[in-house]
Amino acid sequence: MSTETQTETIDRGIVERLRASPFLSQLLSNRLAITGIVIIVGVILLAIYARITYDLSDLMATQFGTNPSEAAPSAAYPFGTDGQARDIFPRVMYGAWYAVLYGTVTVVASTFLGVSLGIVAAYYGDLTDNVIMRTMDVLLSFPSLLLALALVTIFPEELGLWRAVGALTLVYTPRFARVVRGAALKVLEDEYTDATKALGATDPRLLIRHVLPNCLAPITVQSTLNYGLAIIDIAALSFLGFGASPGEPTWGMMLSNGVEFGLFSGAWWWSFFPGLLLALTVLGFNLLGDGMRDALDPRMRETVD
Amino acid sequence: MVSKRFVLKRLLMLFPVLFGVATVVFAILHLSPGDPAVVIAGERASQEFVNQVRADLGLDDPLWQQYVRFLGEVATFDFGQSYQVNRGAAVSQILVDRLPITIELALLGQFAGLLFGLPLGILSAVKQDTWTDHLTRIGALSGISIPIYWSGPLLILLFAQFLGLLPTSGRIGSEYFVEPVTGLILVDTLWAGNLAAFQSAVIHLLLPVVVLGIYQMALLSRMMRSSMVEVIRQDYMRTARAKGQGSKITVMKHGLRNAFIPVITVIGIQFGSLLGGAVLTETVFEINGIGTLLVDAINRSDYPVVQGTVLVFAVLYTLVNLGVDLTYSVLDPRIEQ
Repeated sequence: MSTETQTETIDRGIVERLRASPFLSQLLSNRLAITGIVIIVGVILLAIYARITYDLSDLMATQFGTNPSEAAPSAAYPFGTDGQARDIFPRVMYGAWYAVLYGTVTVVASTFLGVSLGIVAAYYGDLTDNVIMRTMDVLLSFPSLLLALALVTIFPEELGLWRAVGALTLVYTPRFARVVRGAALKVLEDEYTDATKALGATDPRLLIRHVLPNCLAPITVQSTLNYGLAIIDIAALSFLGFGASPGEPTWGMMLSNGVEFGLFSGAWWWSFFPGLLLALTVLGFNLLGDGMRDALDPRMRETVD
Repeated sequence: MVSKRFVLKRLLMLFPVLFGVATVVFAILHLSPGDPAVVIAGERASQEFVNQVRADLGLDDPLWQQYVRFLGEVATFDFGQSYQVNRGAAVSQILVDRLPITIELALLGQFAGLLFGLPLGILSAVKQDTWTDHLTRIGALSGISIPIYWSGPLLILLFAQFLGLLPTSGRIGSEYFVEPVTGLILVDTLWAGNLAAFQSAVIHLLLPVVVLGIYQMALLSRMMRSSMVEVIRQDYMRTARAKGQGSKITVMKHGLRNAFIPVITVIGIQFGSLLGGAVLTETVFEINGIGTLLVDAINRSDYPVVQGTVLVFAVLYTLVNLGVDLTYSVLDPRIEQ
């Protein structure tokens, strides 16, 4: 057999495996999920572009003299200008960077914490399990935005938007812990876990190499759905006054300023555009998360086959 | 029928949860960097005075003593006095005054969500994979993606500022005064027989309820759809059709009842997001419920009010979920096992 045909077989193997993976093929045949992916990729590219192109201190400084104040959208200022004569367009673009950065940190941190706690609870069982999961239950007994509001107060004010990230991380952690504990318990019942243990695998190795990979699907869905939620909740905390500092070009802050100072004198564009981008981004994550959930649920799959 | 044992077991399970909730609230407030003594004494007060206030508040006592005292206060629904509201009003009284406002808003939002969300979800499921279904699903996903603090102000701008049809904020016109009996403005105005005031309240509540309801509608229509899709595929539905029942009758008679069961659980779980939404709605429409109370209290470091409000929100959420669990077990007795 020549090397050429060999690589060809391997390649076909990968393609076939992808095609055979009901999850991916189902996901990629879902037009709404594809739309979600396109929106998310668009927002991430926008965030990176804005971060590279614009200087944050320029965006935050007042621009009286340079720009007209409170100008309606026009060719020169596509999204208009605000009360500090700042051009709203680049500020909204930069808001994408904030949303992606702070949203990612929140989701990654709560996933990490939740997954660790969930797996440890499932593996050690008994008292460890009880202590961890009852604590999670208590945290889940609070309405999430209200717990976040209360938790924001434990962080010093200087932390700005990171206060919101910290509070929401703690709020989301129990959801991951619950999902992962359930999935991990199922994996631990399987015979290969016993086999791995019999071969002398250590606890951390067993958990990381064998249990974790088998819980990835539910973790991914939960993370994706939580991404949209994190972005909308961070903005909500900013809107309520707990998060970004006044000049910062985050969508939540722009919305809050726009509603407070611009909207009722008719300057709708201050808050309209940041809100639009925010809603679109969250929609992207919800479309993808929804598609993933459908693709994972075998009962949903039947409708397409 | 639900067994007494099950109800009793669920009621007993309330205590550890509420105990945990109180502990979390205590921990949060003690971890906050602010000093209540300074808040009460004022920024410019002398150090001796601040120390005096701190001693009076019992903040110098060992932590466990403060904790035990706190649990005792919570158990007797005594959250102390506000540092800010009305110069030391009792927190429990403030909560009693303002809680109905939030409950009324939340209930109306939930009702609006059910009224429109359930039929849309059923329609979507029955017409699965048609354009009606696609539009409803996209609409529902958009509904949960649009922040209340964006749609609310824009609707105010459109209906209140530009069209002049609806008021911008508040619960009732300032020209009306209605003696609070239940605290629910719609009930109180009717109780007083003041139809003009009732009408004013309806007009004021319309936009807040719509904004809050859109989110609930979106959530519920999604849940109703997926639940209904699953039920439609069940064997008993096919049997019913095979027996010669028209498909509409089958859906109504056999489908709905079974499809409702999971939706009811979701209503319980989503009650938390309903309360979160109510906080945001209150802020946007300047409604004086416990949502705005909490936000103001955090801003002014009014710790007793923060404590009381957060606890009340958690208790409300827990009780609603208890109610949902019990309802669920009536509808589907298998759940008890």
